Amino acid sequence: MVSNVLTALVVGVGLGVFLQKGRFCFVHAFRDFFAFKDSRVTKAVLVATTLTMVFWSIAYALGYYQGFWTPGWGLTGLVGGFVFGVGMTYAGGCASGTLYRAGQGYLHFWLTLTFMGVGYAAFTAAFPTLESAYFEPLTVGGGVTLFAVSPVPAPVLALGVAGVVLLAYATIVGRSAAGGAGGTDDGAAVRADGGTPTSRGLGASAPVVGLRQFVAGTRAYFRGFAEIDDWKAASKRPWDPRTAALGITALAVLWFTQVSIVGVTGPEARWTGYLLQQVGVDVGSFEYWGSVLFQGQGVGLTVDMIMIAAVILGAFLAAIWSGDFSVRIPKRRRVPNAVVGGFMMGAGSRLAPGCNIGNIYSGLAELSVHSFIATAGIIAGVYVMTHWIYRDVGCAI
Amino acid sequence: MSGPSLDDFVEMPDEVDDETAEQLADQASETQDMTGEVCPYPQVEAKKSIQSLDSGELLVQETDHVPSTENVPRAVGDDADARVWRSGGGLYRIFLRKR
Repeated sequence: MVSNVLTALVVGVGLGVFLQKGRFCFVHAFRDFFAFKDSRVTKAVLVATTLTMVFWSIAYALGYYQGFWTPGWGLTGLVGGFVFGVGMTYAGGCASGTLYRAGQGYLHFWLTLTFMGVGYAAFTAAFPTLESAYFEPLTVGGGVTLFAVSPVPAPVLALGVAGVVLLAYATIVGRSAAGGAGGTDDGAAVRADGGTPTSRGLGASAPVVGLRQFVAGTRAYFRGFAEIDDWKAASKRPWDPRTAALGITALAVLWFTQVSIVGVTGPEARWTGYLLQQVGVDVGSFEYWGSVLFQGQGVGLTVDMIMIAAVILGAFLAAIWSGDFSVRIPKRRRVPNAVVGGFMMGAGSRLAPGCNIGNIYSGLAELSVHSFIATAGIIAGVYVMTHWIYRDVGCAI
Repeated sequence: MSGPSLDDFVEMPDEVDDETAEQLADQASETQDMTGEVCPYPQVEAKKSIQSLDSGELLVQETDHVPSTENVPRAVGDDADARVWRSGGGLYRIFLRKR
């Protein structure tokens, strides 16, 4: 138990540091991709998830793991994910983003966290009704990870999926490189000069061009470390999102072998129950808190609760170090974003169940069928909300 | 600064020192107080404002949201040249000169 608490502190503080320094933001990853095709953070999310999947599959195959999180799959993932996606876009921060920005001094995100708590409590109060009216009719099958049911060993499956992801990425990059030789980023240039994407780039096909760029980019990334002469100054500047992706992956592997998959809103929902217990509410008598979240073992502190609290601490330390910390007071017109967005994230993450970390990051990395559906729901929510927020200036996609 | 592309990860605007930042702030055609605002509102407001400015005019955004220093220049893309000033205390100024 002591070693688990220590692991929770190391993983939490480390995650806080990497999230803050890399500005690792799941809302940015999807919102800005839809709004103006900015894919930098999208790629960092892809790197973190894919690498984590490969390492987790190896840990699983070797038996060094503590368990998967595989809720039953069905339309709940789509509905809850959609609510969560709308909420995180409106609030301006996902479950992980809200945590590390709270540590950076944003009162906006403390308010978001508070109303996520209200969302968890409202869900808990409605749970007996929701169970028969929502979860039972919408759940199609039992929770399952493809690692467990695949006929090939988990690492082979994971490497195969990683290969497909890399090939798809290389094809897209290769096509845009062939089409955008003159600096444009759409296919118009290709059509204008009568060429096809595959006829350009030394006659190589799009995936090959893309793979070359990927290798060159990866080399340049690692060479960049050799060029750092002042590590202290470099550590204070913002870090490449890829550095955050690598750091998060390493910590997720440690967490997977020692405790569980990485989640945020589950532990937060437990925090809500725990804090309400402290002010005299009989939390254990609520079915959702008592028998689901605390699994009938009594309302108390668990290691994952300590871990996510440590994320706030880590982000605080990183922000102080970088000169990025200050107490930020939200404009009055943004209060509804924090309140409504937070509530939708809290309630949506329970309806799915799972947040962006539980589903997009951990859930995809453990190839959980539920998380594929929930991820689609979250991304659909971001898409709709982004179009609404950008209604005056327009979206690229 | 080129438009968004799929194969780059980081594109930071050039940083300016305190003195340059003061000089630039005096030249501003429009100043937006974006403190207390989080993404994507600074991006949306910057895009709206840049569209209304003439070529060569300068838009200044004052913000305390770290990601905005990258996302706002990224959002206006080829429409403006971006530079950023960091106070070291969580406050930033983003200078966008319309092309």
